[in-house]
Amino acid sequence: MKWLLRQLRKDLWSPEVAGVGLGLVYVFALWLSHRAPGASGTFFNAAAIVGKPLTASDPANQFFVVTFPPLTEGLGWQFWMLVGIFLGALASVLIAGKFKWTLVPIEQWKDVFGPSVRKRWIVAFVGGIFLQIGAGIAGGCTSGLALAGGVQLSPAAFLFIPGIFISGALVQLLVYRERY
Amino acid sequence: MSVGDILLALALGFVFGWVLDKGGLNRYYKIANVFRFTDLTVLRFMMMGMAVGMVGIYTLKYFGLVDLTAVSATVLAGNLIGGAIFGVGMSLSGF
Repeated sequence: MKWLLRQLRKDLWSPEVAGVGLGLVYVFALWLSHRAPGASGTFFNAAAIVGKPLTASDPANQFFVVTFPPLTEGLGWQFWMLVGIFLGALASVLIAGKFKWTLVPIEQWKDVFGPSVRKRWIVAFVGGIFLQIGAGIAGGCTSGLALAGGVQLSPAAFLFIPGIFISGALVQLLVYRERY
Repeated sequence: MSVGDILLALALGFVFGWVLDKGGLNRYYKIANVFRFTDLTVLRFMMMGMAVGMVGIYTLKYFGLVDLTAVSATVLAGNLIGGAIFGVGMSLSGF
């Protein structure tokens, strides 16, 4: 019991131990709910709810009619899962005693990009646009395609992951230059 | 969506969020450094998750308890190019 409490209060676990938990989430999600966890779909659905009325007057624009119609049941299962992710991560930092409000996250960012808060937010926003466009083209994000596809041995996941690493490494090469 | 569905989604999400935080996946430097190959936490976490998931899911499939329907379509260029665009955002913002 004491051991368990000590583990719960740790800031980080070994990635392998945390990874076992990750795998079990996917197993139980597929078993109990017949769905695989995913994150990017919720944002597409939110965009579809706003976008479908806006594009309804243009018959040539079929994206929100055919490709990504808004879910009829509203925000749905993935949305509640995102709420759960937020609560789980919050509980994790609260119990570890690491909770704090901060605008610029951590040291390494400051070393490379400087202390500007605005710059962090702009890069985060632009990066987010890339993330969502990429997820839309590929058919999912890290959770909904790389992991959900990977555990079901879908070839799509094993094309997606090298794609991430090729461009991700190139971007870091540009950002870090001689420090890479 | 029944209340049971919502509670299940919340519970699974709670554990998901918990292990993501404990794995350090919500920190900028963990994501940035995996692309510099100086800290492989992200890969170790994801590969372990996938290994456990594969064994678990295919065991359940053997007993007929799951059906593998929730898979994204495989489109060679789409998955690869989409992944490449995704990687730019992931690497840049560290999310």
